[in-house]
Order: sequence, then C-alpha cells, then structure tokens
Amino acid sequence: MADPVPPNGQTAMIGIGEYRVGSFPMMTIGLGSCIGLTLYDDSLKVGAMVHIMLPESAGREDRPGKYADTAIPLLLKELGAHGCKSRSLVAKMAGGACMFEYFGTNLNIGERNAEKVRALLKEHNIPLIKEDVGGKVGRSVTFHPASGGKVNVRRADGTTGVL
Amino acid sequence: MKLSTVQTDAIQELANIGAAHAATTLSTMLGSSVEMSVPAIKAIDISELGTYMGEESAAMVAFELQGEIQHGGYIIFYITKESSIRLTNTMLGLTDMNRSMNEMDESALIEVGNIMVSAFLDATAELLGFIMLPSPPALSLDMAHAAMSSLIAQMGDDVNEVLLFSTELICEEHKIDSDIIMLPESKTLEKIVEMMENMMKGV
Repeated sequence: MADPVPPNGQTAMIGIGEYRVGSFPMMTIGLGSCIGLTLYDDSLKVGAMVHIMLPESAGREDRPGKYADTAIPLLLKELGAHGCKSRSLVAKMAGGACMFEYFGTNLNIGERNAEKVRALLKEHNIPLIKEDVGGKVGRSVTFHPASGGKVNVRRADGTTGVL
Repeated sequence: MKLSTVQTDAIQELANIGAAHAATTLSTMLGSSVEMSVPAIKAIDISELGTYMGEESAAMVAFELQGEIQHGGYIIFYITKESSIRLTNTMLGLTDMNRSMNEMDESALIEVGNIMVSAFLDATAELLGFIMLPSPPALSLDMAHAAMSSLIAQMGDDVNEVLLFSTELICEEHKIDSDIIMLPESKTLEKIVEMMENMMKGV
C-alpha cells in the first residue's frame, strides 16, 4: 500500500509512473503527453494522484502507475483500503498535450492517454468532473485533498487554472 | 542495457567527437569561442526525470534518429530560455533580453539545432561507418520535463530507465549554455556499442 504520509509533512512529488494516497498535498511537475489523474472522496477528504505515461500496460506488471489500464484499478484498491467507497469518488485530470507536432505520426500519445482514462473511469462509474487536457502546453498540477480536492494547474505559458 | 566501463568510454569518445563538430559550427555561427564539457552518460529512472529536468522553460529542437536504423530514438538540441534569447539576439543583432520569443526566434533556434545536430551526426557517421540521419526538426518552447517525458513516451522501447548522453556547449562571451542530448532506443545503442568495439579491436 502507498505510504499515507508524505515525507516531513511536505508536498509529495509524484514522478512518472508513481502514485500517492492520502490527505496531504501532492504534485506532479511538467506533464506533457502524460496525465496527472486525481481521484477524491469528499466525505473522507482522502484522495489519490497518479502520473500516467502510457495508455496500455500490455501485460506488464512492474509499474502499475505508469499505464492507464493498471493505474486506475490500483488507485481504486488503494483508496478502498483507506475506507473510500468507489461510488463516492470523483475524478479530475490534466495533461495529455502534444509537445512536438511533427512527431504526431504514430498517433498522438497524449490524446490516447486521455481517451483511455475517460473510458476506464466510465467503466468504473467514476464521474470525471473537471479536466484540462490537450493542446501544445506543459502543465504542473498540485492536488489538495484536505481543501475539498482542489487541483491547481500551472501552464508553461504562465497561465493558471483551478479544477 | 547495462554498459561496461569500456563501453561507456567508447560512447563518451563518440559523443566527444560529435559534440566537438557541433561546437565548431556553433562557434562559427556566433563568431566567438565555444567550450565543451566532457560528455556525461546518465542512466535515469523515469520517475526521477524531474530531478534532472524540471519545470524550467527551455527550447528543445528534437530530431528522430533515422537512417540505417529506423525509429532509432531521439537527438535533441537543448537550450535554456535565457540562453535561447541570448543566442537569437546574437544572431539577429538585437539586445533586448526581456522581449518575448517570436517566429523569427523559433526559426533561428530550429536552424541552429539543425546545423548542430547535423554536424554531430556527420562526425559520428564518419567515425562509426554507420549512418544516423536526423528527421525534420520539431521545436518545443516549454517546460523541460514536459517535452522530454513526451519524447520518452514516444519511444518504441517501453523503458523504465533512459540513458541520456549529454554534452554541454558553453559560449562564455554571450553567456550561452546549451546541451546536445541523445536518447537512443536499445537497438541503436547496441549498434553503436558494437561498431565502437569493432573499431577499437581493429586498431
């Protein structure tokens, strides 16, 4: 199970393929085609965040947080262990950009990531209540489970947003 | 792929020769001398990428490695935002550091990246007798981590660890600091190592 407390009460930094569960602030920096996905239970003020890189694991089990199809069941299991019921969860996501237009030849990975996450959330009946995806811009995302599951987005162009 | 000390030395030598040619072309373009660091080879776990390349704004001109190996990985001309304005100011004869980047800057950066990466790959092709060609360039002016992680996500190898070969090129006079970074697929790396080993045996 993911460690429920962050190091030294700081914001937990979540690298590619990593995830955390708890009530402390969590952050992913520089999302390009990757997705920062949060699941949140308002009755418990507990949430989870994962930094997804690719849509499909193709059977790989070594890093479940790296792929959309293994990350979502994993987060549901971890949140369940914290007492969250899947029917009380809501989801938000950011990222899924296309940073290099020319290399769009083998389909846009950012778009595929976002589509896969949407489909899986639907499958698990978890409403996706807010999203900031696509475009050609990098995003850093901070998730605050203790403050109502607020997600702050900062884009590379200096603009900000709240999900 | 785990590299032995001998293999690491061989690749370092290759990067050294490639970067020396790129440094010469940069020096010619700027009309001032360019210093070069010893090439660094780093194996980085993807979850740790943020500690090497974070939220800082940078320009990356990326090329896919093509030629004898298709989809061989990427080679990138990396330059911080401050340095990229100094670079294009120097080239365009401007002095304002606080201006925003425009299409002219973007074209200039792509052109510089193109010339330097071509010089790098020409030199390595001559040394190895194995041709790697750059694809047309793609530019990102954005968070370094966002651009780099997107390239890693596009690699054919589904990797947990990437080998980054990077050489720093510094122009003291204009305070320009840039990098040439190679992100090879495993098949490219194997081929490079094999060619370097053959070459050393032949001497």
